Amino acid sequence: MPFTKKLQKFNATVRSVEVGTGDKAVTLGGGNTLPFYSFDAPTTNTAKIGIEISDMGLAHEPDCIKEVYAGCETVADMAKKAITMEGVDFLCLRLEGGDPNGENRPVEELVAVAKEVAEAVDFPLVVEGCKNVEKDAELLSKVAEALQGKNVLLMSAKEENYKNIGAAAGLAYNQLVGAESAVDINLAKQLNVLLKQLGVDSGKVVMNVGSSAAGYGFDYLISTLDRVKAAALGQNDDSLLMPIITPVASETWSVKESVATEEDAPGWGCVVERAIDMEVETAVACLACGSDAVILKHPTSVATVSKLISALS
Amino acid sequence: MFKVTFKFESGEGVTAFAASGENLLEVARKTNVAIDAPCSGNAACGKCRVKLLSGELDSQKTRHITDEEYGAGWRLACVSKVEADVEVMVPDIASAYKGRMKAADLSSPAEVKIFTEAKEQLNAAGIALKNSLELIQVSMDAPSLDDTMPDVERLERAVAAVTGVNRVRVPYSVLKTLPDKLREADFKVQCIIRRTVRNIFVYDMFPMDENVQAGGLVVDIGTTTVSALIIDMLNGDILAKATTGNGQIRYGADVINRIIESRKEGGQKKLQDAVIKETINPLIHTMCRNCGMKTSQIYRMCVAANTTMNHLFTGINAEPLRTEPYIPAFFKTNAVFANDLGIDINQDAHIIIAPNIGSYVGGDITAGTLVSMIWNRPAYSVFIDLGTNGEIVFGNSDFMMSCACSAGPAFEGGDISCGMRATDGAIEACSIDAKTMEPTFTVIGDEGEKPVGLCGSGIIDVISELFRCGIISPKGKFVREGERVRHDKYGMGSYVLAFKEQAGSVKDVEITEVDIDNFIRAKGAIFSAIQTLLTSLDFDVSMVDDVYVAGGIGSGINMKNAVGIGMLPDIPLEKFHYIGNSSLSGAYAMLLSGEAERKVYELAQSMTYMELSTTPGYMDEFVAACFIPHTNSSLFPSVNQEVID
Repeated sequence: MPFTKKLQKFNATVRSVEVGTGDKAVTLGGGNTLPFYSFDAPTTNTAKIGIEISDMGLAHEPDCIKEVYAGCETVADMAKKAITMEGVDFLCLRLEGGDPNGENRPVEELVAVAKEVAEAVDFPLVVEGCKNVEKDAELLSKVAEALQGKNVLLMSAKEENYKNIGAAAGLAYNQLVGAESAVDINLAKQLNVLLKQLGVDSGKVVMNVGSSAAGYGFDYLISTLDRVKAAALGQNDDSLLMPIITPVASETWSVKESVATEEDAPGWGCVVERAIDMEVETAVACLACGSDAVILKHPTSVATVSKLISALS
Repeated sequence: MFKVTFKFESGEGVTAFAASGENLLEVARKTNVAIDAPCSGNAACGKCRVKLLSGELDSQKTRHITDEEYGAGWRLACVSKVEADVEVMVPDIASAYKGRMKAADLSSPAEVKIFTEAKEQLNAAGIALKNSLELIQVSMDAPSLDDTMPDVERLERAVAAVTGVNRVRVPYSVLKTLPDKLREADFKVQCIIRRTVRNIFVYDMFPMDENVQAGGLVVDIGTTTVSALIIDMLNGDILAKATTGNGQIRYGADVINRIIESRKEGGQKKLQDAVIKETINPLIHTMCRNCGMKTSQIYRMCVAANTTMNHLFTGINAEPLRTEPYIPAFFKTNAVFANDLGIDINQDAHIIIAPNIGSYVGGDITAGTLVSMIWNRPAYSVFIDLGTNGEIVFGNSDFMMSCACSAGPAFEGGDISCGMRATDGAIEACSIDAKTMEPTFTVIGDEGEKPVGLCGSGIIDVISELFRCGIISPKGKFVREGERVRHDKYGMGSYVLAFKEQAGSVKDVEITEVDIDNFIRAKGAIFSAIQTLLTSLDFDVSMVDDVYVAGGIGSGINMKNAVGIGMLPDIPLEKFHYIGNSSLSGAYAMLLSGEAERKVYELAQSMTYMELSTTPGYMDEFVAACFIPHTNSSLFPSVNQEVID
């Protein structure tokens, strides 16, 4: 008997969300198959990769990153360099200096950095906050205002501050809203419902359903990604049909596998290779489980993951 | 030592002595002064308020007391240390649970109707409402020099002749007065006996001309409320009824806190005394006075209570219930007699205890299941007992499954800042105008009673209405602004139901986001338990034919609003039936009818107990249910928010 290929067809399609403007704009989502199941249906949009830089410049970066950006004096210089790397689809500016428990840089200063970067490069931009819900509420709202017309994705609105960020980014200034929840399919869905009730167009929402480094509670994350994708496509669940973006670099670059020196962990090999491996492995697992975009830091990781995406799509 | 005087609003007072630094709530407990402390003195609930009249207290200031109130002398007893002679006023609100509690205890015509129907249904199901107690008349020949048989043998033979059963047991209580009673009655007496196949037990003896009643006592021991009935064992009539708060309340609002308290030194005895000496015995005396019965003429008692209450009532260590692997000392026992526990009824009276089926599904549920009649119908029914714990039974005449979830004290007003039990001053029903956001409510009590707080049914109404009017988000956070919506300095929102000028208390009656959050968890626990139980059998709510809701709070519940907040499944409202205090009516049936008692044992044995805490998926269901009405809105198609321009 001849082999008849059975296609797994879904009646649902993940919404396409365009980030940025002009010909450089990238589209996240839009798929109607399980990740990389190009044999079920042709891939509409391949998964995208963002490269992350910080408002803190190179101050806290490991040596291997300092080398990459050698010669850059400002964050804008770094941005210009970052977008030239192979495989980069969008730029991610992380405003970590705003953290009240860290540098606690004032909102105005951070907005100025964001503006400078946005003006320096004509490239799709994602702006990440400092992870403090109160500060982010103000910070990301102001960034949304300052970068009007650039169609940037602001990360992230959480249950505690979705009203401020959602209203500013999604309603007032016509930007995109990143909806962040804590590794739970129901919480992800609830936040999407809340944003919708606030009046934010669901077509302007990208989900961050949580992030972690491989080996650090990672099974919870990938099963959440898996379930979200399955529910979105399988049940045509409108409140889960948003593309998923997963920040990877901010998690993997701080775990011991990436930071322990060769003296401290003699059996583990080169620290740079380890850090890149952690970043690549984590990113690939996220993509394979349903992320439509990942945010990375090292150009080698970006290039590697990009090759994998093209090979599998 | 310092002198501590507790003054009540009635003007009475109690004096106690306390060591320096001793906790005021502890002193009150030792002195048997009832101060409401649902959180067991953790400064969590803010219910144990007292007012400083003179002297001094070393009190921490908590979020429950405003500056103004603190200035006026209000303190929380649980965070107050005695540092000098002191006089405090214990407000009536705090001691309100002692009486005046509105509970399902067969005092309204509606409840009596439910009760009568339950009786008829049992009868129709072939369960004869008959028990083994009988009143018989016995005539003996007076002894003579030719007939020298001892009194007891004479009685035994005569009873055997009347009943046809040869083994007759006469207890010491009867033997003790036998010679006098027989001679006074000229050897012609009436006896209250218990007949079994093999023997006869003689409880009591009376002269022929006396109008003899055989009393029975039914007690439903709830974690919060205790209801009792005295019935005529010969015809089933209810002779008296009464309800009061469970005296154990001052040792914590929920079963876990009670168990913890019982493990402290002397705690087991204290908790047993609190429920028997301070709660059940006074109820017995009150009821006996009301119906003119002697306490010694109550010959049998039936108790329906949750597993923990059963243990604490019988004075058995309940700690293993709380710790893994959660093993009760007994499911079923018939080894307990009035004499063992110090219940003020006939000392030989047997105490029937409705059987437990799990550490968190107790006799209140097995007794309730009997009167819910779900075991007698082919239709798939859900039986829910709403209380401090929510217990759920699902099934039909072929099978039954049960589980329990911890709803917490929210339904009884605990964990809610303005929450209270259903007593005078509680808002029990509420509706809100979608446009103006103005509330309309009814308050328990006499005409013109001012609102003091919210009871369970009131909270359900308020939250459902706030959601319907778009004032709160599905997460329970305030999203509309207005005169009645406020935010405190930490940004926490609240909705004012009654400003303090209109309220019967010293502060506004309001519901905060924290309250709503606590309540969402409670309702989430109930709905996710129903959902998990159904899903485990591959059922869904659309296959449910009937829902029977029992429990004190059930009486006031607006079913539409309970569906509106996502607590009960969204099925047509006519499928919901309120069956009153099913624990009490089930215990009544067990007491009155030997067949009903056996049926309950049989039901308990045939019910499958599902431990939710070890069920994969329960946590997921719970998180999904912690949203109004539910994360999966397709489960609640009839629930809609009003569109406000």
